[in-house]
Amino acid sequence: MAEMWISMGPQHPMTHGLWTLKIKVDGETVVDTEPDLGYIHRGVEKICEARDFTQITTYCDRLCYASANTWSHAYIYAAEDLLGVEVPERAEYIRLVAVELQRIASHLMWLGAYGPDIGNLSVMVWCLREREMMMDLLQELGGSRMHYNFPRIGGVKRDLPHGFAQRARAKLKLFLNRIQEYEALFDESTVFLVRSQGVGYAKPEEMINHGVSGPNLRAGGVNYDIRWAHPYSVYSELDWAPPVERSSIKGADCYDRYRVRVEEMRVSASLVLQALDKMPGGADTYHNPGDPMIIAKAPTRAPEGTTGAHHFEDSRGESMFYIAGGGESRGKQPYRVSIRSPMFITIPYAAKCMIGYKVADIPAIMGSFDPCIGETDR
Amino acid sequence: MGNTVSPDFQKAAAETLAVATSAIEGVDAEVIERSSGTSPRHVVLINASPGSWRALAENLYSEHAVDYCSMVTGIHWPEGDEERKWEVVYHLLRTGVRDPPIENGLVRPMIVNPSKLKGASMPLEIEIHVHIPDTTTPSVDSVQDIWVGADWNEKETWDLVGIDFDGHQEMRRVLQPHETPKGYHPLQKQHHLRYHGFEEMYDDAQGFMRKPADVGKIK
Repeated sequence: MAEMWISMGPQHPMTHGLWTLKIKVDGETVVDTEPDLGYIHRGVEKICEARDFTQITTYCDRLCYASANTWSHAYIYAAEDLLGVEVPERAEYIRLVAVELQRIASHLMWLGAYGPDIGNLSVMVWCLREREMMMDLLQELGGSRMHYNFPRIGGVKRDLPHGFAQRARAKLKLFLNRIQEYEALFDESTVFLVRSQGVGYAKPEEMINHGVSGPNLRAGGVNYDIRWAHPYSVYSELDWAPPVERSSIKGADCYDRYRVRVEEMRVSASLVLQALDKMPGGADTYHNPGDPMIIAKAPTRAPEGTTGAHHFEDSRGESMFYIAGGGESRGKQPYRVSIRSPMFITIPYAAKCMIGYKVADIPAIMGSFDPCIGETDR
Repeated sequence: MGNTVSPDFQKAAAETLAVATSAIEGVDAEVIERSSGTSPRHVVLINASPGSWRALAENLYSEHAVDYCSMVTGIHWPEGDEERKWEVVYHLLRTGVRDPPIENGLVRPMIVNPSKLKGASMPLEIEIHVHIPDTTTPSVDSVQDIWVGADWNEKETWDLVGIDFDGHQEMRRVLQPHETPKGYHPLQKQHHLRYHGFEEMYDDAQGFMRKPADVGKIK
């Protein structure tokens, strides 16, 4: 049969954003793929070169609309390394609460979007209902619904508000019960199992060589996690382990990638609950903004020749910032900010994973890798 | 609680790697401390000449199990030293990830106990700086065939910064439009943003002849 190229996207439900997947098909079988990105490239790295260190946080929030807090925190850790700031321990616990709540919200957004991808429409409404609880908690911390601008160089913007710990505990308890509802909805749905099992196999060693990390890697049965291998913040103080899925012999399929994210939501909820219990000074006390318990004084200028780098476990894999300070001539602005987006590296690999499967499997495989085009194109 | 990798053991592994790689000609390695909030991380910082970079990369991959290319950063230093007009920074990780073993036709998940990690299985951060002297066509050797993860990183570095990678297959624009003029790489420092220096707040691209809001004011 004759082979031909077809463009899926830039407007297609499979893309979860704005990009084109060119596929070469032989009948119904995919024989070659080529991703084409860059439709919403905004030049964030260049914009950052003309902004103060404190102003860049807001741009990092907007890199990913589903996971704003993890991106602004990734930048803040690199900036603190550059400027040489020691962070108060209480601020680290508050950051951990914010990041892990954001991780749950991001995975819920993914789960809600993945259901309709492969024919399970009702799950979207259920997941967005629970995501709303996480958004409410994050709104109490950051003040807005999606782009929080919560961390500061040296600490956090505000302490936990009065009664936050009590509300967070109640909501997470309810949430942990409701995870079982999703599992029932997915694992007992024949449509879901038929479409997600046995497609999109990925082996761990191959994924590592292709630069794929995060939940997609852990679905293959290995416990590599940046929070575990290069512990930052206070992850080494808490009792947890990276969630791992028992994959099939051929590697991780779409079903394993769904399972590992559900497990990761449980781990994140447990981390938040532990952090609220172990927080120095207690979760129920309140400190005013600017108090040395929650924010340390930070210099605004980076000396000549200094650099800052930080690997961070984002909801989608390993994100990273590398910042070069420019000395006196640059004032309060960096010389170069470089951003590593996990999905920018993962999307070419996901496109390779599709080769050999049917055209109808493409939404199932692509969706299971959790693409986010805001961070991919930067 | 002992569930994560200990930075103290990482320091010893980093020092071993730094000593081993320093033996390569044109390579200079040391261990530095980077902060991560409250505790330090130990990173192997390597300075390599453009000629020795390819040999160093092959050595790291085959001898020291460095299996993951995290990020490639290109920097343009037009006012820098004569030896450093361009710079490529590689961030690599040693992850120690292996395919999990198969028992009785089933996969046994590979749960690594961090207290039993030693030698070449210890996760490690490696940062490599390659300085390129003054030239209009900067380039270094590609490592696309060693770490496939470097493939799109190198494409992006050429697209935005204009540093070419010798031996890279299929170099093309990835973030900018395909019809971008040849030789235009926006992260080079001769290209300025309109608001560099705050002289005007917005441009007049649409031709409305609007006056800048803060004309004559110095911010």
